[in-house]
Amino acid sequence: MGDKKSEVLQGTLDLMVLKTLHAMGPLHGFGIARRIEQVSDDVLDLNEGTVYTALLRLQQQGWIASKWGTSENNRRARFYTITRPGARQLERETENWERVAGVMQRVLKLERQA
Amino acid sequence: MPRLRLLWAKLRGQAAQGREDEAFDEEIRQHIALLEERYRAQGMSAQESARVARSRFGNVTALKERQRAQRGILSPAESGRDMRFAMRMLARRPALNVAMVLALALGIGANTTVFSIVDAVLLRPLPYMHSERLVEVQSPEGLGTFESDSVSYPDFFDWRAQNRSFERLVSYHDASLTLTGVPQAVHLDGEVVSWDLLPLLGLRPALGRGFRPEEEKLGTRVVLISHGLWVSQFGSDPSVAARTIHLSGEAYTILGVMPATFRFPVNAPQNSFWTTLALDNDGTPKAQTANRGEHGTSVMGRLKPGVTVAQANVDMRAIAARLAKQYPDTNTQHDSARVQGELTAMLGDTRTLLLVILGAVGLVLLIACGNVGNLLLVRARERDREMAMRSALGANQARLVRQLLVESVMLGVLGGLAGCALAFLSTPAVLRLIGDSVPRAADAGVNLPVLGFALAVSLASGLLFGLAPAITSARGDLLSPLKEGGRSETAGRNRLGSAVIVGQVALGIVLTAGAGLLVTSFIHLSRSSQGFNPDHLLTFMFETPDSRYTNTRAEFYREYFEKLQALPGVQAAAGSMLLPMTDNLAHLSFENPEHPVPKGLQPSATTDVVSDGYFHAMQIPLLAGRDFTDADTETSPQVMIVNQAFAAKYFPGENALGKKLKPGARNGSSQPPAWREIVGVVGNIRRAATERDVDPMQYLPASQFSKWCCMYSVVRTGMDPLSLEPEVRNLVASMDGDIPITEVRTMRDRIGLELAQPRFAMVLLSAFAGLALVLSLVGLFGVMAYSVTRRTREIGVRLALGASRRMVLQMVLRQAASLVVTGMGLGIAATLTLGPMLRGFLYGTGARNPAVLAGVCGLAVVTGLLAAFLPARRAMRVDPSVALRYE
Repeated sequence: MGDKKSEVLQGTLDLMVLKTLHAMGPLHGFGIARRIEQVSDDVLDLNEGTVYTALLRLQQQGWIASKWGTSENNRRARFYTITRPGARQLERETENWERVAGVMQRVLKLERQA
Repeated sequence: MPRLRLLWAKLRGQAAQGREDEAFDEEIRQHIALLEERYRAQGMSAQESARVARSRFGNVTALKERQRAQRGILSPAESGRDMRFAMRMLARRPALNVAMVLALALGIGANTTVFSIVDAVLLRPLPYMHSERLVEVQSPEGLGTFESDSVSYPDFFDWRAQNRSFERLVSYHDASLTLTGVPQAVHLDGEVVSWDLLPLLGLRPALGRGFRPEEEKLGTRVVLISHGLWVSQFGSDPSVAARTIHLSGEAYTILGVMPATFRFPVNAPQNSFWTTLALDNDGTPKAQTANRGEHGTSVMGRLKPGVTVAQANVDMRAIAARLAKQYPDTNTQHDSARVQGELTAMLGDTRTLLLVILGAVGLVLLIACGNVGNLLLVRARERDREMAMRSALGANQARLVRQLLVESVMLGVLGGLAGCALAFLSTPAVLRLIGDSVPRAADAGVNLPVLGFALAVSLASGLLFGLAPAITSARGDLLSPLKEGGRSETAGRNRLGSAVIVGQVALGIVLTAGAGLLVTSFIHLSRSSQGFNPDHLLTFMFETPDSRYTNTRAEFYREYFEKLQALPGVQAAAGSMLLPMTDNLAHLSFENPEHPVPKGLQPSATTDVVSDGYFHAMQIPLLAGRDFTDADTETSPQVMIVNQAFAAKYFPGENALGKKLKPGARNGSSQPPAWREIVGVVGNIRRAATERDVDPMQYLPASQFSKWCCMYSVVRTGMDPLSLEPEVRNLVASMDGDIPITEVRTMRDRIGLELAQPRFAMVLLSAFAGLALVLSLVGLFGVMAYSVTRRTREIGVRLALGASRRMVLQMVLRQAASLVVTGMGLGIAATLTLGPMLRGFLYGTGARNPAVLAGVCGLAVVTGLLAAFLPARRAMRVDPSVALRYE
């Protein structure tokens, strides 16, 4: 493993999956993994299997739904879509994330005081 | 909400595990295949790309297991394995496990039985619309001397008009009428109610219509009949509505038939008619409906939505206070009102009694759980090596704990099944024991909520007694159990087991002491004198309807009693309106010229109207003066007799004979009240078998009160009283064929019925105490026997070093005694704290009876030592040479 890669922060994978589905529309698990890989510029060390754990978790919360269909290259695949409660959850989580990220940024930029 | 949703998703996931597994497998296969394709497209070899794809995806097996665990609650393969394994473990020690299941079955069965009764009596809503808004409104007597909280009609009418809390307010009271015009005249119990009873209850007749407001008016005679009466007397005739029938000599129009399930009041399932309060109005100014001093009806209301019982209480008290100012003569002592939930009012003390019994039976189950827990603990020790071995071979701690829990929960469920069977068998017996003494108890049965309760109790007890062994077993100490020396231990080690025993003994003491108190009280009740001789007395009742007997009643009764006394086998016979051991009540105020008080504050006393010869027939001693005679007539000087308590209360230190009183001054009975001379003083009697204080009583001669109907007859005989029944029936039928006799019972039976509630409480609590005792003894025995086995080597060493066998015996007994005594101390403390809960059900004993406590403790010590003796003897007989080679 390259030492420049970052671990996926606990809990952030769900948010990434949700956002991906929100932005891209219906996708299968492989597609989601590709999209996250692409966006993260290969910085994240992602065990792609964990995407499925996130998908099951989200589905149990009712934030996404799934349906079997046919993929672009004619294979059977399970497609996931974001639901209305999922979209609301995404909004809440995004806001929350931005707030935390903002605070983190400010904290990390603190100058050493004399 | 999100948590609920998750649980739901998991339950669904659990159900669909198999299907989901396959789908997920395919998803993963696809994903990995796509990854491989991608790496091959980047120029990797087939082998290389497969390897990279797998590492990129992560551990497939672990992921699958995680998914499966997350999807549902239990993994099917694992729980199936656990259960099969548990069954094997249970089958391996059949005797031990049967003993455990039996203990649980007794505990759970007893709980299920009691719960089925609690469910029927306390938990089920009344069978009316929105029954939680139904309340009882009472008019407590200001002096608080009487139990009756009845209301007078004029007060009720004012309440109905003035209140702001109720959608509707109705009056109701018992009545009995005789149905004639059918082949055999029938005595009917029923209810006199205000017109809007059915709208208040939210019910309709199954056939015909309900009452209308104008049907409360003078002279109206309309009736609703029960489904039972409709079937038995009218052949389920669908056109019965609008038919005219004759009740106690008057013509009534049937308006409708109530549904088969209808009951009102709920505790009077025998009621077969409902008529309006027009029955209580004879058009005179003295009519019950116009007499503010005659408290003869109950009142029930439906709260307006949003109005609380407390608010209604405030409202009604204000009205009652206003009425007391307005009508001081009649209402001074009824200047308040009380509003209570309908079920609460109906059950009264019985609610507490049932909760006490439920608590007691819960303790029995706790004791049973303690036993099973202790046995499991013992077995867990024996399995320490197995657990350590499995742990060492890689089973994780959670799996081991779960395995043990599955075993104990299965034990619980087996016990629960056996317990339910037991409950099925025992509920009818317990219901027979309860009889009519608890309203609605007869509805009890093992139904869905009850089975649900049993299941919940089984699972909960399985977890309860399984948790401790499971946790101590899976503590993860791998080494010491595997070492060969792990078998021996010393006294201190089984702390948890000892604590359980102490707890069991304490609970057992609480239960036995409670039972002891109830037994003491019951013995007191059944031994104490009633003030009359209740043996060889036949009692029964019939009505002499006003419509035919207004003027001839005195004549009729004189002739009737003469003939009755002449029957062969009859030693004496007489009549009483307010026979003891019936729940009839009558209080009459009286004017005492020696202590003049404002009219509204006149004292009142329980009043009986009796025929001459009553005291002789009942064998109530005449202490002074004379009995009533047939020379006391309507026209002769008016007389009365009082009991000793009355004389002592109102004429302390004086001779009551010759004093004159005017009873009924406030009551306004059908005759103008007259001054009456006290001509006799008789002994006190117990009016009810559970009466606490002797009631001051006044007796008036029936011959001077001929407008009052419905005397009970009492017949004293030397034979079996019930053998007189046919002749008595013949006699009355020969005098008037339209008078059915009812309530034919011996006086002993009546007392038995009155004691039904104390008896069933005593029997149940004693049975539970007995169970508790046996269970705790078995528990103590088990723990001691186990401890001796574990200490065999230690004992062998002691013996080898010169300890005497006596010392060994003493050592073991001392260990048992310390457990029993500690438990006893806790038990006594708990008994002293909890005892007062029973106070309302105790007669002739306090709630902290030292004799009972001493007896219970003695019992605990003796039986405890007995249980410890066998193991102690075995310890004494240990052969040191064998013991030292033992391991």
